[in-house]
Amino acid sequence: MRRPPRWNLALGAVLLLLAALVALPFWFVLTGSIKVPAEIIARTPTIVPESFTLQHYAKLLAASDYPVYMLNSLVVATISTAITLILAIPSAYAFFRMSFRGRETLYRAILLAYAFPSIVILIPLFGIFAKLGLIDSRLALVLVNVAFALPFAIWLLRSFFAGIPVEIEEAARLDGGPPFTVLRRIMIPLVAPGIAAVAVFAFVTAWTEYVFASVMILSDAKRTVPVGFSGIIGQYQIDWGLLLAGASLSILPVVILFAFVGRWFVAGLTEGAVK
Amino acid sequence: MKLPRRILPVVFVAPAILFLSALLIWPLAQAVILSLQNVRSVGTAGDWVGLANYVEVLTDATFWSSAWLSLLWVVSNALLQTALALFTALALNQTFPGMRIARTWIVLTWIVPTVVVVMIWRWLFSTSGGIVNPLLMQTGITSAPVGFFSTPTTAFATLVFINSWRWFPFIALMMLAGLTRIPGDLYEAARIDGAGAYKRFTRITWPLLAPTLGVLLVIGTLLSFNVFDIIWLLTSGGPAGGTRTLPVLIYETAFKSYRMSEAAAVAVLATVFLMGFAVIATRWLARPPEAR
Repeated sequence: MRRPPRWNLALGAVLLLLAALVALPFWFVLTGSIKVPAEIIARTPTIVPESFTLQHYAKLLAASDYPVYMLNSLVVATISTAITLILAIPSAYAFFRMSFRGRETLYRAILLAYAFPSIVILIPLFGIFAKLGLIDSRLALVLVNVAFALPFAIWLLRSFFAGIPVEIEEAARLDGGPPFTVLRRIMIPLVAPGIAAVAVFAFVTAWTEYVFASVMILSDAKRTVPVGFSGIIGQYQIDWGLLLAGASLSILPVVILFAFVGRWFVAGLTEGAVK
Repeated sequence: MKLPRRILPVVFVAPAILFLSALLIWPLAQAVILSLQNVRSVGTAGDWVGLANYVEVLTDATFWSSAWLSLLWVVSNALLQTALALFTALALNQTFPGMRIARTWIVLTWIVPTVVVVMIWRWLFSTSGGIVNPLLMQTGITSAPVGFFSTPTTAFATLVFINSWRWFPFIALMMLAGLTRIPGDLYEAARIDGAGAYKRFTRITWPLLAPTLGVLLVIGTLLSFNVFDIIWLLTSGGPAGGTRTLPVLIYETAFKSYRMSEAAAVAVLATVFLMGFAVIATRWLARPPEAR
């Protein structure tokens, strides 16, 4: 399709506006984190930094528990992602490739779980976890994160499974493969992009979770990045340089993950989510 | 051969269902029990008080103003983020150099922790050293710095903007799904028939995209209702209760005034309301499954 020049111009303008809306705040954070304090709070903000310093990063890594928070977040998010996948893949497969009684009802219930107001279960879950001795443990966060990511994960995998021709599966089954082998050898490789999408979703859900992590974790050494970061905000007398460095570092792992599998996540959302 | 075929789906589905039941349904049941008792702090046993907590909550003006704010919050967010997302999806649906990069990295706002989103915007909007105010003044839009978080109305509007900013790319990507499924030859045929851009949009794009938009409005509504951290971290429900939506009220009642049972009552009411909305909405979303 060819576009007339004025449409190209309009499209360019819209894209530029979008890029500014999304990227400009991040640009200010990243560049701010390497400016000297005086330039950060300058009356007229500079788009391109005029100074360069790593003092904020040095201070963050040396004087705070930030590295510990990062490690905690990485551990919690990685384990949450793994468990989400282990639970989501077989159930999504069963939901969309097998027929059994109550399938429709269960599927709708899972959609409802996505609508669940998470704050509602904060109070009772705190009580339950307290009885089980799970308060102040990273396991509590893993459980919560999986519960939040799982409904959408199953939903996201739906169309990937639905998109596989029945014949492929039938052929594999006729060859005598047991169901678990068919799932592992045939289906999982075929829905690999969907699995990547779910993994990104689960990881980001866990990486960004704040409320439960702030209530369930009591000791500083077990805090995740969002909670640790908000602690830094309160701890220091608004040291913007330090905060901007912390913000930049907290973005880093998800950006790296996204650089590798983000394409699949986008494909998963655009091709899978609303089919 | 007969037995495994019946049992297998159960084996596959049961772990996920059991997990979700233990972590969502069971606590919800506990919340209902809590709301019928009189419990001050977590873990202590309470006496049964029947519907007293509900009566107390429903006769409290704070509950109603919170419910009203929640409704306003949900509607304004759904409108703003859907509008922004539609605009974005239409632009990203075009082919242009760097299209793939733009599509992938637009969700940057979503992969960042809320705390960071909050910090970014608090900094950009602040009256001292912020970037938005100098920009507004230099371009002559305002003559004095705007206190974005200082009055109930501006704080509410600013929060709606920040929340929509966080979610619109996510919604836009799902919207792209609807757009990419509209066959290109429809547009070609319309073009040959001499239909202009406006006509092509109103006659092809809009009607074919409408079902997707419906689904996304519902998702957007549910996502916005549940938003707590952005509001809590930026305004804590203030100033003057101007941003105290229902999730904020629940948290405040439970963890600031330590009235667990009243908080549970508000939570149960909110859940009933939201689930009612979701049931109606999913009935509308649900389609016959593609599988056999």
